[in-house]
Amino acid sequence: MGQKMTWEEMKKAFPDEWLLITDYERDRLGNIISGVVERHSAEKDEVYQLPSLKKKAAFEYTGESTFRGFRSHAEHHSI
Amino acid sequence: MPNITPFDPKAHHIRFVGSMTSSDGVEYEFRAILDTGAPWTEFSDQFLHAIGMITEIDQAVSTKSGLQTQKYDRLIVPHVIVCGHDMHELSVSVSHFENHWGIDALVGLDFFKMFRTTIDYKAGQIITEAY
Repeated sequence: MGQKMTWEEMKKAFPDEWLLITDYERDRLGNIISGVVERHSAEKDEVYQLPSLKKKAAFEYTGESTFRGFRSHAEHHSI
Repeated sequence: MPNITPFDPKAHHIRFVGSMTSSDGVEYEFRAILDTGAPWTEFSDQFLHAIGMITEIDQAVSTKSGLQTQKYDRLIVPHVIVCGHDMHELSVSVSHFENHWGIDALVGLDFFKMFRTTIDYKAGQIITEAY
């Protein structure tokens, strides 16, 4: 079993990466407080590969989301 | 009684955590965005593949510039929890998501058709109740 890390430690150790986390706690907004990083990679495919784990787990991304939504896209293109 | 799902009103999107039960009965949590521009709830093919809901990913699909994500299939998922509501045999779209979106689901209008949804932005709450 890996070492438990805080979310801040995860972001610092694995910037802009996808994580698969177990044994975690979340705050009231759903943000990870701490947990054990089972897999990490900047390549999403590497974290989402089979086989899956046999225990409850969460997928999280440590970077800033670039998703802006379709309304934003429409505004950008004057649609 | 309505369910209350907190979100961060300072964030760019209404982001929250949902969960889906994998083909071998394990619960996996995913990041989702409540998207009133999405007609159907859709999941990333990578997430669905990782938890055994689909057997392969269509590698030929990529996101194109436009108003649509790259939905390329439909799927019935056995069990998913969104905003505290257990949903069984839910029909969803399989879609290609860009890596840097940082999410695995867009919850769309089909959810609003099932649940009366109030977004209290000041309080940072999604308030949902079955019709």
